[in-house]
Amino acid sequence: MDGKREKPGFHIPLPAIGFLLPNFIGFLFFVMFPVILSLIMAFTNWTINPGVPLEYVGLRNFNDLLGMHSAIPAAAGHIYASYVSCVILLLAGLILYIWSYLREWEGVKIGGTVACILGLSIIITAFANHVNHGFVLAGIILLLAGIGVSISEKGSWKPGIGIIPSILLVVSISALWFLNKPMWDNFTPNDPRFWKFFYNTVYLMLGTPIGIFGSLALALLLNDRLPESALTKRAVMFLICAGCGFLSLVLGLGSGHGDLGLVIGIIWLIAGLGLAFNVIAYRTIYYLPSFTAGVAIMILWKALYNPQTGPINIGLSYLTGTAIDELPKWLSSFTWAKPSLIFMGTWVGIGGMNMLLYLAALSNVPQDLIDAAEVDGASRWQKFRHITIPQLAPTTFFICIMSVIGGLQGGLEQARVMTGGGPDGATTTLSYYLYNMAFQNLNMGYASAIAWIMFAIIFVATALNWRFGKELEVE
Amino acid sequence: MMNRFPWFKFGLMIVLGISICVPFIWMTSASFKHRAEVEEINLIPKKPTLDNYPVVLDMKPDPATGRFLGMKFWRWYFNSIFIAAAVTYLQVLTSCMAAYAFSRIQWKWRDRVFLLYLATMMIPGVVTMIPNFQIMVGLDFLNSYHGLILPAAFSTFGTFLMRQFMLSLPPALDEAAMIDGASHWQIFWEVIIPLARPGMIALAIMTFLGVYQSFFWPLIMLNIEDYFTMPVGMLLLDSTYGRQTEYIMAATVLNVVPLIILFCIFQKFLVKGLQLGGVKG
Repeated sequence: MDGKREKPGFHIPLPAIGFLLPNFIGFLFFVMFPVILSLIMAFTNWTINPGVPLEYVGLRNFNDLLGMHSAIPAAAGHIYASYVSCVILLLAGLILYIWSYLREWEGVKIGGTVACILGLSIIITAFANHVNHGFVLAGIILLLAGIGVSISEKGSWKPGIGIIPSILLVVSISALWFLNKPMWDNFTPNDPRFWKFFYNTVYLMLGTPIGIFGSLALALLLNDRLPESALTKRAVMFLICAGCGFLSLVLGLGSGHGDLGLVIGIIWLIAGLGLAFNVIAYRTIYYLPSFTAGVAIMILWKALYNPQTGPINIGLSYLTGTAIDELPKWLSSFTWAKPSLIFMGTWVGIGGMNMLLYLAALSNVPQDLIDAAEVDGASRWQKFRHITIPQLAPTTFFICIMSVIGGLQGGLEQARVMTGGGPDGATTTLSYYLYNMAFQNLNMGYASAIAWIMFAIIFVATALNWRFGKELEVE
Repeated sequence: MMNRFPWFKFGLMIVLGISICVPFIWMTSASFKHRAEVEEINLIPKKPTLDNYPVVLDMKPDPATGRFLGMKFWRWYFNSIFIAAAVTYLQVLTSCMAAYAFSRIQWKWRDRVFLLYLATMMIPGVVTMIPNFQIMVGLDFLNSYHGLILPAAFSTFGTFLMRQFMLSLPPALDEAAMIDGASHWQIFWEVIIPLARPGMIALAIMTFLGVYQSFFWPLIMLNIEDYFTMPVGMLLLDSTYGRQTEYIMAATVLNVVPLIILFCIFQKFLVKGLQLGGVKG
């Protein structure tokens, strides 16, 4: 638009080149070139070990990771084919399910009810037959999705094409149910660890919805300011609170209950900070864990979780009177390791960036919409449901995408610092597996193949998120 | 409109605040305890000691064994801060320059090149990590400062953030400067940079924090203790003296306190920057 006519050919003005060049060289050298090199590595047996000659191995790395092998291949071929097609059918059914809900197809609610029944029956049968957790989880997800669809205001009760996804789900799930045993009797994955660690990664991501809801709740709590008051009054109130805190500490120390005094003193102090700096004080406090998050915080939690010497177990044993050996061993117990990591992640992330993003979005909700709803006599819940939630949709969408991307890559630092991937691989995620492959086993080619599979999963998850998130935003 | 004071909400805020703080309180308390007392539940040490800090900082021998721990925390502090500062300086500079080329100069293929930048932001770090390590091995950059500084000095995210910020500045400004005969270089330094300062500060804090806390890249690049950064040093301390909780906690306090100070100083800018980078998506 600068009035000059652009010459044909590759003419780029000199200033643009000058300004871009430093960054662009770095971009080419540390981003573009590595991406291409990584793709090449994934198809070779690349290793740091100088003794092994470099070879092109084609798809062998990918086959080793994702493929299955069978003791009697000829007999089991059709089982394999039907199992895989059932899985594809299942995924298609799930995607179509979301699709039909968003498009408000007729019969969506009937479909939702069918999904409810299906989910419930899966859970019951799974418990009755002592089947693995995966089925229970799938059942719970189906149940929740079904309930969500059937009580929502979208769609209708009339029968229509909205039932199709439910039929697909019923067919594929019942087929999978029957094929499950023959399939895994005949086939073993080439790399069972990969699937196990993939499961771990997804399990650890269960913390993200908790974190997102928690962040939203905190943002709602901290959105309205406490009643304002004059500067002098605030200063006086802070001093009174600090004085009370100090007094309770001194009293506690004097009467031999020093810890109680300390805790009450800190409560007074926090209250005083709130009176002096309003909600800003709490935003700061809640944000602290995620600002300081890193190796130090992980080491702190490792000490907290320590089954013998950590304060969690000592406190629990003090409160409940059970012996320390009978309490959960947290990070060193197979059942508790993952929940412990999720809990720590929630503590770190709940007041972090997500809360700030929600606060920013809440402050952008137009006041006239709320006023108009108040004039119409809307209740608080109705205002929240029909004004706040739609206004927050873009932020939620952004947070979901970032959490999925982060979650699928996550778990490396925790595994390296806190658990060493154990006990028995319970906290090893895909990224820690990749790290071990690349830097312990020096099998760079295999590790690159893992990296590209992770990229593919992240890409698909983001694309789905994007596709359906955009539809929700339009609403 | 006068409302009653929301006691319930206020109470909830305080309860949540204290539950967020409890691990920090325990950490501080444990760092002032003697070995014998560290496994007890009390928060106020019966016999408080200041010795854990000098022992961790290698200024005093460990009273139990009479030997020094051999942890070079001063050196690691310096390494971490030096590397983080260098990366921050370079990254903010190159990002701003590239963002200027992407937002204030018209040129052919500009948006296509920018799209390429955006597309690479989707590629997870694990994909580029292994080949980058290979490049570093090839350049013989292991155990060096430049091996940690150079790859982090160019950021597509920083470019994206600064471009968004610069696009929000009115274009009339540089047109006016252009009519007065200013060169692009002058416009960049004297018009755009002063106006883009809030965005730059936000990017600088995020970069500094990210590099200061970065654990993985230093872990694979370094195996000589003199070049360790704080997080890698913490890992070494934890794996060597993991049973001595009071030392570990003293080191954790030493690690976290500078961050809390940094946070209190820059809190306002940080919130602004996060909103800037986030909501535009």
